Amino acid sequence: MATSAVARETVFALRRQIAKIEGTLPERLAAPAGERPRARPDSPIGGTPEPTPDITIIRRGLAVASPDAFLPTGVERLDAALSGGLPKAALTEIHGLETRNAGAVAGFVLSLVSLILRGQNLPVLWIGTSEIFREAGFPYARGLQGLFGIAPKQLLFSEAAKLTDALWVAEEAAKMTALAAIILEIRGSPQRLDLTATRRLHARAQSAGRPVFLLRQAGEAEPTAAPVRLIVSAAAAASRRTIAGPLAGSIGRPAFTVSIGKSRSALPGQFTLEWNPDEHSFEERREERPENSVAVVSASRSRADPAPAPGTVVAFPAVGSFASGDQPSRPQRPAHIGPRRAG
Amino acid sequence: MISHRDRNAQRISALDERAEALHLKHGMGIADARAMHPSIDVVEADPEADRRLLEGLADWCDRYTPLVALDGADGLYLDVTGCTHLFGGERAMLDDILARFFQQGFDVRAGLAATPGAAWAAARFCGDRIVVSGEEEALLAPLPLAALRIEPDIRTSLESVGLRTAGAVMAAPRAPLARRFGSTLLLRLDQALGRLDEAVSPRLPVAPLSVERHLAEPVVLTAEIERLVEMLAVTLKVDLERRGEGARMLALLLFRVDGAVSRIAVGTSRPLREPKLIQRLFHERLAALEQDIDAGYGFDLVRLSVLAAAAFDMQQADLTGEAQDDGADIALFADRIRARLGDNAVLKAIAVESHLPERAVATIPFSEAPQRTTPPKRPDRKDAPPTTTFPPERPIRLFRSPEPIEVPATEMPEGPPMNFRWRRALYRVARAEGPERIAPEWWRQGEEDAPTRDYFRIEDAEGRRYWLYRQGLYGAGQPSPRWFMHGVFA
Repeated sequence: MATSAVARETVFALRRQIAKIEGTLPERLAAPAGERPRARPDSPIGGTPEPTPDITIIRRGLAVASPDAFLPTGVERLDAALSGGLPKAALTEIHGLETRNAGAVAGFVLSLVSLILRGQNLPVLWIGTSEIFREAGFPYARGLQGLFGIAPKQLLFSEAAKLTDALWVAEEAAKMTALAAIILEIRGSPQRLDLTATRRLHARAQSAGRPVFLLRQAGEAEPTAAPVRLIVSAAAAASRRTIAGPLAGSIGRPAFTVSIGKSRSALPGQFTLEWNPDEHSFEERREERPENSVAVVSASRSRADPAPAPGTVVAFPAVGSFASGDQPSRPQRPAHIGPRRAG
Repeated sequence: MISHRDRNAQRISALDERAEALHLKHGMGIADARAMHPSIDVVEADPEADRRLLEGLADWCDRYTPLVALDGADGLYLDVTGCTHLFGGERAMLDDILARFFQQGFDVRAGLAATPGAAWAAARFCGDRIVVSGEEEALLAPLPLAALRIEPDIRTSLESVGLRTAGAVMAAPRAPLARRFGSTLLLRLDQALGRLDEAVSPRLPVAPLSVERHLAEPVVLTAEIERLVEMLAVTLKVDLERRGEGARMLALLLFRVDGAVSRIAVGTSRPLREPKLIQRLFHERLAALEQDIDAGYGFDLVRLSVLAAAAFDMQQADLTGEAQDDGADIALFADRIRARLGDNAVLKAIAVESHLPERAVATIPFSEAPQRTTPPKRPDRKDAPPTTTFPPERPIRLFRSPEPIEVPATEMPEGPPMNFRWRRALYRVARAEGPERIAPEWWRQGEEDAPTRDYFRIEDAEGRRYWLYRQGLYGAGQPSPRWFMHGVFA
């Protein structure tokens, strides 16, 4: 036991040493939970094994940064894969394989921004080339407010005709601490946005301590200085949840398929995330499990269920609407209320 | 020699000294001139180019006074009131002007007097003369009638009655003159003699504040210009502080040695007086204009003017020495981007009360945002229904203009499409929600008969969500409805 603890200490010391020599990436070196030393030599004799805190070293540059250098997504598996979450003071690349995925990619980034903005009143700058705003649509403030709780006054947009100009704006913006986050959106894999350009962005983001999200619509995986690259595509939304179970044919909360394209610590993996616009949090979607098998309203005993209404039942208005929240929807109308008369 | 067309004949409109030496005259026919001297070189007159040149010269004369006005096709008025001491007195100033024009290759005559009329006459008929206030009469008396700036037909009729000099007109009784030759003559006379005020309307608005620096050695490098801007801005700051203002619009004037003037303007989104920040704004602007500014032999005068100023409210710093962060960083950042990339480079979204999706959000340039933060609001009614807690779901991206899509078939006449073709790709609709009907804003002019829109949320087979709408209704007697893609959901 003692020998293995010593060996572990040595391994960690070595890893720390390696981290110090190598790169300037924020890194978190945590002891695996199972191998935690049970007791220390100076613990009280015969006492219960004292839980030792995780050995966690996070380095940013040469200084040791606090654990809140990471933005936890709230999804355990993804956070574990990214060893704590997305780095906050860094460039993060988010790819969409096709331009038509722009909605999902933008949605995922805005969810992250929404997580960052919690309790902050700083503005967010969204930089894009004219091309991408024309191809994929301009961000719509009403939708952003409804889905991600980002107020219009917190949003700044910068539209540049040329990629060079967009990059310049991004570099200038990345130096600022008065912005909560910067989103740079471009299309394709232009030559100009090479390793050097991303390194410049990453260095500025690191020194300002603010995240820069680089959205590449229809982009290919290229060498990049960003420590993390995620590939996002749309996932079919789950049905709306009503009190009587999922509403067939309805389109529920936004869902994304996220796969890790590059990360220093994570293995490639794929996650299906669902954004909860009410809680402003992510949930991972697993296999569909039965919601609440007990019927809330007892079925009519005297006669068979009424014939279903023609067509599909469609929930509207959308999120957390009255129909889905407070009142039972039409087919489950309680029996003790008489049939509604016209007029 | 320059010719112009006058009453169907080519006539000499301007000629140089060598042509004058050949006894050619202004107004002579080109045919006659060619008959006398077949080797003369005749160039067609280009009044537009002359005008541009004169305006360029007027810009250059800005170095002497901000009040420069054009006079006809070949003259400039400079209102030098209060400026002469900066150049070492009237004589020195006049000499400086003449010398610099001569160096640029212009043959210029100048006169300086207390009234525009007298100065005009002095410049055109005496040449290089300074008329002291009160001596206008003595100056004008021996001059011909043309010195009075009167119409040629009045002049001819005056000459026909024997009044051949300005002095003769001055000596004549006023009432008959006015009756016979109109009031213009006396007006011009009085203006020239200083009995009536004459305003010279400057070509450009006068900046409320400007500072400048004459350079013994012309500067060429952009970095040096930037340093000069900062030095000028330090001086400007004192004046702005005294007035309790900050600059909203600044212009940098660069006077090139050979007479060309570059005018560079930057705007700020909030009043500004800090020299360092002003310098950074001009740094961006100069970087953007690098190709357009030709330093040539260098600039020998640099001027920084405040074109528009606004009240500057001082910020109280707290004890830690940090002022309240009110977005000053952001404003400066936006200004710098605006200086380099133009007004529309930084946009801000503003919610507008409208139920048409494309009108519900206005994106306006950042610099305009503070003035328009409050959208027009209806007065609150007491019995108004409470605002809905759950606004209808809106897409996160909206296309600038809805893109037409092809819908071959819908499930029901008023229902969502089963598939559609957008940007030449076919999409199969997996699920659909809707319709949400959005009626046109009939109270607006020209939109009374606009068709209604039925919006559908669509999810395609691969899980992408779109916002489509059908414009118009299916029905007899109506044009068949068209489908559009308006936005995408997350």
